[in-house]
Amino acid sequence: MEHLSGFVLPNSGHNRDDEASKMGMWLFLFTELLLFGGLFIVYMVYRMLNHEAFLLSSFELNVTLGTINTVVLLVSSMTIAMAITAIQKGDKKTSVRLLLTTLGLSLVFLVIKYFEWSAKIHHGLFPGMDFYNNLPKGEALFFFLYFIMTGLHALHIIIGAVLIGVVVHRTRQNKVNQEKYALTENAGLYWHLVDLIWIYLFPLFYLIH
Amino acid sequence: MEKHDKQSDHAPVHISSYRDHWSTLVTLLLLTVVTVVISVFGANLAALSVATALLIATVKVIVVAYYFMHLKYDKKLYTWLVLLVAILFLAFTVLTAIEYFNR
Repeated sequence: MEHLSGFVLPNSGHNRDDEASKMGMWLFLFTELLLFGGLFIVYMVYRMLNHEAFLLSSFELNVTLGTINTVVLLVSSMTIAMAITAIQKGDKKTSVRLLLTTLGLSLVFLVIKYFEWSAKIHHGLFPGMDFYNNLPKGEALFFFLYFIMTGLHALHIIIGAVLIGVVVHRTRQNKVNQEKYALTENAGLYWHLVDLIWIYLFPLFYLIH
Repeated sequence: MEKHDKQSDHAPVHISSYRDHWSTLVTLLLLTVVTVVISVFGANLAALSVATALLIATVKVIVVAYYFMHLKYDKKLYTWLVLLVAILFLAFTVLTAIEYFNR
């Protein structure tokens, strides 16, 4: 075997395909879009059936907090896009800082969401509570969809935050670097999707009056 | 229009500048302000404000996808796939609405 000692398979140790990895993330995002898409269609139909009730109920939501959260997500989308720019330039330190900023903003979003939900639950608007159970059908449907859709979205924020945490860790370990940053890009794509969904949720629930 | 060699593994990677990202953010924030202002102060134009809000949201989504999600610089295949999914969803929505209004 001596004569093979210097032999290296053309692709050995480099079985990675960043383009395929990105395509995989996009295909996953499409399934996510259709998941939320189905919920948006449910929203549309219930809203057509309960037009007045939906308009009235939307006044219960806090436009200021909704707007702040919109701004928080837009800024966090920029910081994660910048983290990709930084790693592409080989500036790992800046990339990690920007990722941590994004992570921080995701927590701000969740804390604001927590206060919003608490206020609604305090008023008995969570599905199954006494006050909720006595609401007219249309109002109940509005709050049902509000909790389901913002809840599923918040779950995505949590998953995205964990994913960003993984990217931070791997960047620090140098497993993500200037030559190999597909993970940062894919985390970015996922995070932007979470932002995209909120861009529609915000006007449909908070601003329809 | 950038023309990258699509077959090559070493196609030049486009690096968006920090400045570009700032501009994208400012655009998105301005659009958000417009939506909120229309909604809060144009309350008596209910139907119009919902349509406008959705239209502006769609513009924001396109800006995010095009710049932040890098579709502008990626292979065109991604853009086509996104459009395909968008058309699919729009078809579901429009068909459902048409069905509703015809009953």
